[in-house]
Amino acid sequence: METNNRSIETQNLSLWYGDFQALIDVSVNVPAGKITSLIGPSGCGKTTLLRCFNRVNERYGNVTTKGEIKILGKNIYDPDVSLLELRKTVGMVFQRPNPLPISVYDNILFGLRIHSPFGSLTRAKSDEIVEEALTSVFLWDDLKDKLKTRATSLQLEQQQKLCIARLLPLKPQIILMDEPCSALDAKGTLAVEELMSVLAGTYTFLIVTHNMAQARRVSSECIYMFLGELIEHRETQALFETPEHPKTADYVQMRYG
Amino acid sequence: MKRSELIFQSIALITLAVAFILFWNFSKGVSFVENGTLFDATVTDSYSVLQENLNRMIPILLGAILFSVAIAFYLEEYLARTSWKYQIIARQIAILASIPSLLYGILGTYFFVFKTEFGSFFTHALTFVLLVLPITIQSTQRAIRGVDISVREAAYALGAKRRHVIVHHVFPHAFSTIMAGIFIAISRTLAISALIIVVYVWTEHTPQSGDPFHIPGSVIVLLLLSLLSSVLSSFLEAKTNWS
Repeated sequence: METNNRSIETQNLSLWYGDFQALIDVSVNVPAGKITSLIGPSGCGKTTLLRCFNRVNERYGNVTTKGEIKILGKNIYDPDVSLLELRKTVGMVFQRPNPLPISVYDNILFGLRIHSPFGSLTRAKSDEIVEEALTSVFLWDDLKDKLKTRATSLQLEQQQKLCIARLLPLKPQIILMDEPCSALDAKGTLAVEELMSVLAGTYTFLIVTHNMAQARRVSSECIYMFLGELIEHRETQALFETPEHPKTADYVQMRYG
Repeated sequence: MKRSELIFQSIALITLAVAFILFWNFSKGVSFVENGTLFDATVTDSYSVLQENLNRMIPILLGAILFSVAIAFYLEEYLARTSWKYQIIARQIAILASIPSLLYGILGTYFFVFKTEFGSFFTHALTFVLLVLPITIQSTQRAIRGVDISVREAAYALGAKRRHVIVHHVFPHAFSTIMAGIFIAISRTLAISALIIVVYVWTEHTPQSGDPFHIPGSVIVLLLLSLLSSVLSSFLEAKTNWS
């Protein structure tokens, strides 16, 4: 793997919630333009690690971070890094679909509006952006007549797709997903997985999942974590079929967790 | 019990109580208003009583609402819950809010009305602020905390600044709950004022028209306003629905 092909790199990343150490010396390289999944038992630090990458962890007081995180080669803890720009570059999709309780149209434009100078978005331009974003997530046909509907009244699958769509106008490079399908049924899960596969070339996906079958289906690389440590990071097929570490083997062969 | 049922029953109870008082007063053959505004016996018709009270209340009310909402937002959005500032302010407010409103009423009457030389507007304002602010701040805090964390996370993860999140999401979401809390506080204040006036009139004035339990008209006006305020509060509370 080439160094410039990596979108997220961490060096000896440790994180504490108060006295509790949630991440222990995690060093990881996530390749660009691919889907990488983070697996491991509950409480192993997957979500914490994911949340480090757009610095949403910091909103909760009492968090101490040590080590280095580079996104697209830039250390995100450098003083000149703008948190707003970082979050524009690194989008996030949450476990439970959380569209903002405003219209579908306004959901798509919310991010862009707060990042654009007042009055710089014309109506025609906005319409175009909304159509483009909804088309990319295969929602345009379903929702083109429902743009003024409150987003929270959509079906869960549509809500989660909308949560992905609203990131796209910001032109992110990386999309973090925290168990994006855990609230969806089989059909919704399949739809979101298909969407990820289509978008994978354009965006880098890092997905936390409890569903090992899903990790196998969608990701090209897989990271196994256990009690705050990164145990193994390999190509998905290799990690599942010939795990090197006994702890990984226990987990992927379902002897544990 | 369903919320709608609860609201209906409380409205029914309050209405019944007020209707009883009105009926009682009229049945004794007492004219609708005597003893005028609060402690001033010169104003004698109900319209003036209402107007006088509203004239005093509205500016104080608006000020108090803005102030309490601002404090609650400062506490919840700008201070960490573990910080000493939050602890001190929130604890003081909790103590103030837990004191029965009657004590404030007596304190207000005794200290501000009879024992000081302050102007009437100022004394009203002080009592009102002491009585209302802790309650409205606490209800606003609860309203803010009630805004689903996922909404905040979604907005922050899209790069929103704190002011975007507050202005576009937290405030519109919490609005009806905040208003419900404010109306509850107003209702409480009016009811306690009514009580104090009744006690004052019973103890200080010889019974008029031979009725030892005479109820002055201003009390009825206050109780009606109090009722209106609680009904408004119930409607606003019912309007808050989380999707």
